[in-house]
Amino acid sequence: MTSNKGSREETVDVLVIGAGASGAAATAWLSEAGFKVKCLEQGFWQDPSKYASTSPDYEFEALTNWSSDPNKRQRDEDYPINVSDSPVSPVMFNGVGGSTILWSAHTPRFHPSDFSVKSLDGVADDWPLSYEDLEEYYDLNDEVMGCSGINGDPANPPRSPRQMPPLPLGSDGMRLIDAFEELGWHWWPSDSYINSQRYGEGRDACNFCGHNNMGCYQRAKSSTDLNYWPRALKSGAEIETGARVRRITTDKSGTATGADYIDSKGNERHQSARSVIMAANGVGTPRLLLNSSSDSHPDGLSNSSGLVGKNLMFHPFAMVTGVFPENMKTWRGPLSNFAMSQEFYETDESRGFVRGYTYQFQRSLGPAWIANGGFTDPIPWGEDHHTELSKRFGSMMGLAVIGEDLPEIHNTVDLDPELTDSDGIPAPRINYTVSKNSRDQLDHAIENARKVFETAGATDIYVDPLMRQSGWHLMGTARMGNDPVDSVVDKWGQSHDVDNLFIVDGSVFVTGAAVNPTPTIQALALRTADYIVSHRQDLKG
Amino acid sequence: MTININVDENVMTAILDRLIPAVDNLPSAGQMGFTSEIVRLAGQQDRFKAIFNNAMHLFESHNPEFTSLASAEQDDALRRFEAESPDLFGALRTISYIVYYKDPKVHERIGWDGRTPQPDGNKMEPWDESVLENIRKREPFWRKA
Repeated sequence: MTSNKGSREETVDVLVIGAGASGAAATAWLSEAGFKVKCLEQGFWQDPSKYASTSPDYEFEALTNWSSDPNKRQRDEDYPINVSDSPVSPVMFNGVGGSTILWSAHTPRFHPSDFSVKSLDGVADDWPLSYEDLEEYYDLNDEVMGCSGINGDPANPPRSPRQMPPLPLGSDGMRLIDAFEELGWHWWPSDSYINSQRYGEGRDACNFCGHNNMGCYQRAKSSTDLNYWPRALKSGAEIETGARVRRITTDKSGTATGADYIDSKGNERHQSARSVIMAANGVGTPRLLLNSSSDSHPDGLSNSSGLVGKNLMFHPFAMVTGVFPENMKTWRGPLSNFAMSQEFYETDESRGFVRGYTYQFQRSLGPAWIANGGFTDPIPWGEDHHTELSKRFGSMMGLAVIGEDLPEIHNTVDLDPELTDSDGIPAPRINYTVSKNSRDQLDHAIENARKVFETAGATDIYVDPLMRQSGWHLMGTARMGNDPVDSVVDKWGQSHDVDNLFIVDGSVFVTGAAVNPTPTIQALALRTADYIVSHRQDLKG
Repeated sequence: MTININVDENVMTAILDRLIPAVDNLPSAGQMGFTSEIVRLAGQQDRFKAIFNNAMHLFESHNPEFTSLASAEQDDALRRFEAESPDLFGALRTISYIVYYKDPKVHERIGWDGRTPQPDGNKMEPWDESVLENIRKREPFWRKA
């Protein structure tokens, strides 16, 4: 039902919920095509000059007020997430730019096989589209976000020229690369949405501070507040920050009519719209859809399939860290984006599991980060403390394992019966188990990472078999497909149940591949927006 | 929400002395005067402040004579706390390490320039395409769908 509470705003053509990676891309595309677009964002604009990386307290800030975990950050604009039934905690940022504010900006693409896992490997489902269907949108997104990298990777199809050369590998990076070459295993410089040279308006080249896990003072790390949003605003789009959506509203026929929300001053408001695009991530979007039940959608909006909130996929991360005998000053250069290996990406059934994994090469950071464990256990306190710090500081490198996590219906986001945000809106609850296939992938990757570090000459090797705070990649909770019985949206991101409702975030993923998902999320968002422009002019007022 | 920090700073100082002992020309962390900075920093976020308060109050309640114990007994008390309340102990250890490694004298000893990450960043050798010589010889092996 349409809410009668609060004040009413002018009806817009498209109401976008969320101003992050996908919401920004869709808003820019549609506003440039002449649609009247408004975005509601629960967070706020960020000022890069005030990011924590310039503060002497940056180590503390990264664990608290600037943590990627909303349960630790606890800003007013964050919502709590019940993670007591999940070994992995979702991480995200709420603000203009969304999680691209705190992401690492590692931006590999899906492989062609990732869209056809049922046909190729007999597991999960095929996507209703192919790599070729997305390729032009990948290219468009690379151009806006700005990609450092280089063509010629034998593990991936040929692609268009990158906007900038790769980020430098460093002598520390070469230490790992030499080991991969000695083992005869693939490696390639990463595609990164981090400027290796000036690119984009007001955006400097990376100055190798190391902390690409924080907001970027240099504006070298791409985030959608720096590129898509200026374009969107220039073409007339509107964004309201501090706007927390309570529910998507519908009329008696079940058509979406806008959203009820609480504005930054605490007033209950309604924004009416001729269509709604959900871009609130793979946790936030199912939460809102489930909070939007009505007479016409009794189980939640767009949930006739019962699959809203089901099939949650993370990429459960393992981390293997090696300590080398010499100080290589491993705090210089991006923490996590300079190179990758996809030697074990495609299915080889002799390994005992299907699908595969990517290694993302990692550096390390300063002494407090090292002392507190970095990617492994904290350094012991007491008499051995200084000796151990001296061994690890400047000498630690890592291999992060990103394995393909296949969809399972029992991995879910639903509404917590008790927990709410500060406006009383039911909060999400995660129920997630790492599957045997994912566990087998991770174990295989851990053993091979040991070989890499032994070959490279590491003296100590540490293993975190499953990183708790690694739920960056939130996927699958409103999957796309051709059949309304077993999917929530069609191949264009349009709801099967509500023809003026679209979803453009990671919720729509059918499978998760074994790479960071953001370029794919953004390419899908651009494709959906392009579909609306070409097929849904009826949504214009 | 405002939470006042109300801990016995002598206990925190004694804890610091055991967590990070003297090394080379540097005294132990408590004797370097970091306690007040720890209390200040812990107050910068309500969530952390509450954890810090809980940790200190629980530790003090279980170890009312901590400051007068011998060093080995203090270590035993800390190990018990670490085993019984790992998250709370972890909060004390985390902030102790953060504050210790902010200090210029510590930076000098470990050979770290100690700058904040920005605005100056670091220097690196530029990208060198010749490193791709070997891997470029490999035939494409991605799987066609």
